Amino acid sequence: MRFSIPRLLPPVAALAAAGVLVLSHGARAQGLAGDAEYGAFLAGECVTCHQESGDFDGIPPIVGWPVESFVHAMELYKDGTRENQVMRTIAARYGDEELAALAAYFAALGPGKAENPR
Amino acid sequence: MSFTRRDVVKAGAVAAAAAALPFGLAAPAIAQGARPRLVVIGGGPGGATLAKYVARDSQGAVDVTLVEPKERFATCFHSNLYLGDFKGWDEIEHGYERLTQGYGVVHARQAATAIDRAAKTVRLGDGSDLPYDHLVVAPGIDIIYDSVEGYSEEVAETLPHAWLAGPQTQLLKAQLDALEDGAQILMIAPPNPYRCPPGPYERVSMMAHVLKAKGHTRSRIVILDPKPSFSKQALFAAGWQRYYTGMVEWQDPSIHGGIGAVDAASMTVETGFGPYEADLINVIPAQRAGAIAVQAGLADETGFCPILPESMRSAVDENVTVLGDATIAGDMPKSGFSANSQAKVAANAIRATLTGSRQFPARYANTCWSLIADDDAVKVGGRYEPADGKITATETFVSQLDEDDDLRRQTQAENMGWYEGIIADIFA
Repeated sequence: MRFSIPRLLPPVAALAAAGVLVLSHGARAQGLAGDAEYGAFLAGECVTCHQESGDFDGIPPIVGWPVESFVHAMELYKDGTRENQVMRTIAARYGDEELAALAAYFAALGPGKAENPR
Repeated sequence: MSFTRRDVVKAGAVAAAAAALPFGLAAPAIAQGARPRLVVIGGGPGGATLAKYVARDSQGAVDVTLVEPKERFATCFHSNLYLGDFKGWDEIEHGYERLTQGYGVVHARQAATAIDRAAKTVRLGDGSDLPYDHLVVAPGIDIIYDSVEGYSEEVAETLPHAWLAGPQTQLLKAQLDALEDGAQILMIAPPNPYRCPPGPYERVSMMAHVLKAKGHTRSRIVILDPKPSFSKQALFAAGWQRYYTGMVEWQDPSIHGGIGAVDAASMTVETGFGPYEADLINVIPAQRAGAIAVQAGLADETGFCPILPESMRSAVDENVTVLGDATIAGDMPKSGFSANSQAKVAANAIRATLTGSRQFPARYANTCWSLIADDDAVKVGGRYEPADGKITATETFVSQLDEDDDLRRQTQAENMGWYEGIIADIFA
């Protein structure tokens, strides 16, 4: 079954969006201006599973997230707090610059956003 | 004739306008002549992904032609789920409409019969030559039929390999569904390296699932393996013991004593310990790079194509890129996920060469999910980067034996979600 609108908003994103989360991770990544072109390249790695359209078919959508939520979620995979093996492996190789670029890229996508920035 | 500054500006404007035209409309000749030509052989997860990414991201600046005889492409990945009644055939077949209509890829519905690397042309099935500035070769694998004694393309019509998704897969499914309780199935597993390392063992799981669902618990599947071990072995063995007790038996060379000739008439396979009889025989022979790559001199003595790990460029021709199962991709397995990942690195490198766009450091990923039983899937995967002259794993993971049912269920949900994701990434 297919949902166009993300049905399962990840809890961490919801908290961050509500401004109640104290962010202890990724402060540097969040301070960087994401390189959109680099982000578009890196995003190729994500969209094998996470659909760029935002469709949900079993893997959570990651488009339209606030930058800070995206970076925070990735930091939680990097430090092992979040357990998914695929995501831990993916996140392990990203530095601050990569996280900032990816977060900026995906934040610009999603319902109500402008055209794909590619 | 000399060009004035105004003429040059006008020509540039025409080219820009042509690039902005809806794809599929004829662009002015002046723009067509100016565009570098990329030819892609093979419309699978490697070739189709590459064609889409270059066409989309170059925004019309590169002329992309996909040479693929098929109108619709059946994915090898999840074809085992079709065998296991988890998917219909229509769910694993996909067309190229979005690539042509959405991104301006030209689909040449012909086979590529030869590559002239000196002239930089590809000979098509109709005898015409397609010129290229850069060529991508993504032909997948070819079956080496005579690697199993008595086996041939003709015998495969009775004893299917079903390792190229299509009529072979449907033949194997029909044979599986026609079996009676108590039937014997024999699988001859392939030697390394081959497409989809966990694939044969997921297939056995799916066949056992179908038999069990029909109550055929007296039926039996024997795997004759030329290898002493295989991918995710402990996970599969535990799954077979749990779900299909007494139905699946894996034999390594120390048990079967060597795999001899197959015979379709008597439905037997010779082994070091005498003939095995069966009601269904699935023969998965050794494999090599698709013939077009071998004929073009892109493969080495292994039968597969060496590449540069930074770009997937051929190690023998800088104007050629090779993708997917046809390559020697270091630590990466031959999988649809790998081919799709390699295509994105290659697309970035090819655009940089042809249009001067930015090139970023290569990074690759792969995950292979395998379904063992209803709601019980496992996975193996990793990330990879160029190092020591090859694509080298930087991190790897594999499912654990002691995972609870809930995690296995989540892994299966991930498997199904990944399929929709990668199909959107390749074809949409």
